Amino acid sequence: MSLWLLFKDELNGFYRSKIMLALWVGLPAMALLLYFLVDDIEGMPITVFTGLLVSSIGGLLTSVLIVVNILNEKEKKVYDLFLIRPIRRENLLLAKFGAVFLCVTVASFIAIVLAAVLDSANEGYNVQDILTSMKDSLIIALSIMAINCSAGVLIGVFSPSVLIGVLLVLFGSNQLSSLVLLPMITGWGEMWMIGLASVGISGSLLFGAAMVFRRKEF
Amino acid sequence: MVGNSGEMVSVRGIYKRYKDLPVLLNLSFDIPKGSIFGYIGPNGSGKTTTIRIMTGLIRDFQGEVSIGGRSIRNWNAELSSTIGYLPQQTSLQEWRTVDQSLNTFGRLSGLQGSEVGNRIKEVTEELGITEYRNRKVNKLSGGTLQKVGMAQAMMHRPKLMVLDEPVAGLDPESRVLFKNLFRKLSREGTTIFFSSHILSDIEDIADTIGILGQGRMRYIGSMEELRERVGRSTEVRLETVEPVPNDFLLERVQGVSKVERVADNRFHMIIEEHKEMDAVVDRTINAVLAEGLHIRGIHPNRQSLESLYLSYTDGEGKA
Repeated sequence: MSLWLLFKDELNGFYRSKIMLALWVGLPAMALLLYFLVDDIEGMPITVFTGLLVSSIGGLLTSVLIVVNILNEKEKKVYDLFLIRPIRRENLLLAKFGAVFLCVTVASFIAIVLAAVLDSANEGYNVQDILTSMKDSLIIALSIMAINCSAGVLIGVFSPSVLIGVLLVLFGSNQLSSLVLLPMITGWGEMWMIGLASVGISGSLLFGAAMVFRRKEF
Repeated sequence: MVGNSGEMVSVRGIYKRYKDLPVLLNLSFDIPKGSIFGYIGPNGSGKTTTIRIMTGLIRDFQGEVSIGGRSIRNWNAELSSTIGYLPQQTSLQEWRTVDQSLNTFGRLSGLQGSEVGNRIKEVTEELGITEYRNRKVNKLSGGTLQKVGMAQAMMHRPKLMVLDEPVAGLDPESRVLFKNLFRKLSREGTTIFFSSHILSDIEDIADTIGILGQGRMRYIGSMEELRERVGRSTEVRLETVEPVPNDFLLERVQGVSKVERVADNRFHMIIEEHKEMDAVVDRTINAVLAEGLHIRGIHPNRQSLESLYLSYTDGEGKA
């Protein structure tokens, strides 16, 4: 009950935030820019390239968003009024993760679908190819962003300051999230493995964050 | 289990330290149900730490605290719905409006359906913030935000309200509003525990007062007892012509309970029993003259509530 309520609340706050607005508009705009400004991206469909860009830029921005948000709320003791109420502490984090991840999922979906539409306007791509690259791009983008979001939650919980938090995001969560691309780069894995690895890594990071947050004294 | 059925809060032997800094040292007190307990002490004396322990926000401490007969070591939904908490500074998520904030806190505290809306209407009217209901919390003044903080603490009609410096920073009108609200809630059976570092904030509404100084409870009792004590005790101001040697101890004069050396030749002495004042003044004069010193002036004054408070806190609260 409290998780659903907190999730709806966080969603209400995040989808209108400035960073999220930048993602809502920025990610689809990137697909458009690629189409109109870049003649040739080494034969790669715009859908795939957009997927990589979305996961990289979107992932970084969302993890920074979560870290800064959690650290600010910790600093201002916003959690006090939640923690004295009958809720599970970790629900505060899960709600935040869920809200941000849902927002970036929708933004990524819009951007990648738009890129697929643009690809379909190009000669040389058939519908099957486009659908496959759209599916693969979405899996990659969402996998990377799930890891970035959950790493952002963990870093936000234990980081002592915004500066350290942002540095950890830049040098930690961004590198960690790129790990899931290994199966694709090395060619020894399937796309579903990326999704599975992402679920495993994200789940572990969120579990770690919940454990720390449960014991934390504010 | 600690405490008895007549007590809403029972605090027993609390020790708390932050690293090497002891903050609370063997703190014990009880708060009867339905009473208003004023918790006063200088800045940094441990008031907020006590409050954060009582509300379960600090879990690492020694001692025992029970609320409504339940130990806070076993924090659960029932216990948390017993408490309404107003922190020293109300911090809410900035993107929310007042209504959204109260709605969330009301629902999280167990209110359901139309009860939430009705209760928001009631508390915002009671606190005079109806016109701000649709305003974002980051657009509110400090005083209005404090009222929103009070509103969220009252939303679920808690049996105990724990308020950390609730009237600090409020204008005189709002202070009166808050104090009247405390009286009303107390009449309705709510127990109120509130802290302040200003005695005048507490003296006209608290049934019981606890004075905290250097991590210890220096005085606990009713305001009547404290006022009686003020009436009994007297301050005598002594000024000599010559500087008084350090080895001349005015504390040795029979009837003098405390001496503050203000300057080399000026002293404030506290006499516990007002009736003994004349005899103590005589004995002081004799002692000073016997030391070969000359008296420029000696003036008895009734001790103020404020100076009594300072004597309990060893002057920690002095500006």
